Amino acid sequence: MSLTIVRPEKLEIEGLVKTFPGSRRRPAVTAIDGIDLRVSAGELVCIVGASGCGKSTLLNVVGGLEPADAGRVEIDGEAVVGPGADRGMVFQGYSLFPWKTVAENIAFGLETARVPRAERRERVDELIAIMGLAAWADRIPRELSGGMRQRVAIARALAPRPDILLLDEPFGALDAQTKRVMRDFLLGVWRDIGTTILMVTHDVEEAVYLAGRVYVLTSHPGRVAAEVPVPLPADRGPAITRDPLFLDLRDHVQDILIDQVRV
Amino acid sequence: MPPLKDDTGTTTGAAPPGERRTVIQWRRTLGAQRRGTRGRRQHALLRVRDDIPAAWRIGLMAAGLATPILLWLLISSGSSGDLIVPSPAETWQGAMRLHDDGVLLGDFWASSRRILIGYTISMAIAIVLGLGMGTFRSVEAFLEPPTGFMRYIPATALVPLMLFWLGIDETPKITLIVLGSVFFNLLMVADVARAVPREIINASYTLGAGRLTVLRRVVLPHSLPGIIDVARINLAAAWSILVVAELLAAEEGLAFRIVRAQRFRQIDEMFAILIIFGIIGVVSDLALRALRRRAAPWARA
Repeated sequence: MSLTIVRPEKLEIEGLVKTFPGSRRRPAVTAIDGIDLRVSAGELVCIVGASGCGKSTLLNVVGGLEPADAGRVEIDGEAVVGPGADRGMVFQGYSLFPWKTVAENIAFGLETARVPRAERRERVDELIAIMGLAAWADRIPRELSGGMRQRVAIARALAPRPDILLLDEPFGALDAQTKRVMRDFLLGVWRDIGTTILMVTHDVEEAVYLAGRVYVLTSHPGRVAAEVPVPLPADRGPAITRDPLFLDLRDHVQDILIDQVRV
Repeated sequence: MPPLKDDTGTTTGAAPPGERRTVIQWRRTLGAQRRGTRGRRQHALLRVRDDIPAAWRIGLMAAGLATPILLWLLISSGSSGDLIVPSPAETWQGAMRLHDDGVLLGDFWASSRRILIGYTISMAIAIVLGLGMGTFRSVEAFLEPPTGFMRYIPATALVPLMLFWLGIDETPKITLIVLGSVFFNLLMVADVARAVPREIINASYTLGAGRLTVLRRVVLPHSLPGIIDVARINLAAAWSILVVAELLAAEEGLAFRIVRAQRFRQIDEMFAILIIFGIIGVVSDLALRALRRRAAPWARA
């Protein structure tokens, strides 16, 4: 039980239900069956679950890409009714515009918001610098590595200065080494920019490494199995993976998940 | 948990103590292969989808071009009676005769103009409706049935009707080119638009784009190379229908010239026109390929 809740809630989800209608051959699937979830301003929260637990669906509902069947989803007390640039999203891959350069990709959300050209340039340049993409600003996605592409995707989602960043397995398609570099990179960005982040992953170690709090979901239907606080220091680095507390937390979350697994 | 059974009834998974596990008897079942080697060697020229040496590629392309010409020379040298096949030299003379009569360029221009106008209209309709169809299920539901139906009415079957309704000037020919190609173009452009990855569209929404912005600034540019491919592939069909229209009613045009040549038994001129059709096709094909490379360098063919 947490004793102090001083920070305002950025995202509040209550009693969320999402069902996919069936057909004659296939029964209806309840992907999410009553999920309550909160993310405070400036927090980094991870959701872990086995595949098919509806965690991507959950993120899509928050992003406004799919409607909820029941329940409340609010950002700063305002109900989510559709997609918008206030909730930046990063997907697993293939979501960059392949015909646009890195700079043009990042600028897209500023163009739709009709940010004046001069300011647009300034903000794109700033993000390119933060993300370490200066040398690739004029390249197109095809010419970038997987890790680089995801950096562009994060920069693009951050450009309109969203209230919350929603990450849907952003490192899922990367190799193990790149993944490790990218999670430190993400922590750095989070500390520097101070944005609120809700991230979905199936990688338990990644979740515990990044998050201040981890929600563990059950599968079929998706419910919250446990909410695990991660009382590790915010400025974590690779050394933390040898910390006994880190290892305990990782195994704890892993155990909860393994109980859910049906082969 | 009870042990899982697979299709053959063999018990798999860890067997409880005291229970016998089924052990599969391994016997190598290999096809023909040479002793002392493993695997089957593949010939360098016949590997599925692999590149071949550049020298071979150029050589095979040259041979592919030379073979029909050689066959043509061979057949024309032995032709006699009613089955007259003019030689390449005679065909060239036929073309020169048409040129000297002052009709060749006029015919070429008349036919090309009809194609340019008709096919541009066809592509314009196909792009607007096709992108709508591939993007919005409602537009798709409305347009798919009539398009599917119209596509199966051979445009050539409409030639008499169009001539009857619209007379024998340019209008029926251009209309026929549009009718003969627009339904194919439409369905194929819709397919191209449908191939825009969902994640790219979703990403655009979460970057503040509305539906029209997504259509104009995401679906359209992503579909551009595919649209050019569609235009390239269906252009040949547009020429086919034009030829039928010109055969029946025209005062100039390449197909009209073929009918004229037939009337005067000038087979060399007929051959010359056929070759010209082929050249027009190859040139427009190359031009559209170049356009694709220029307009969408990000999408390798």
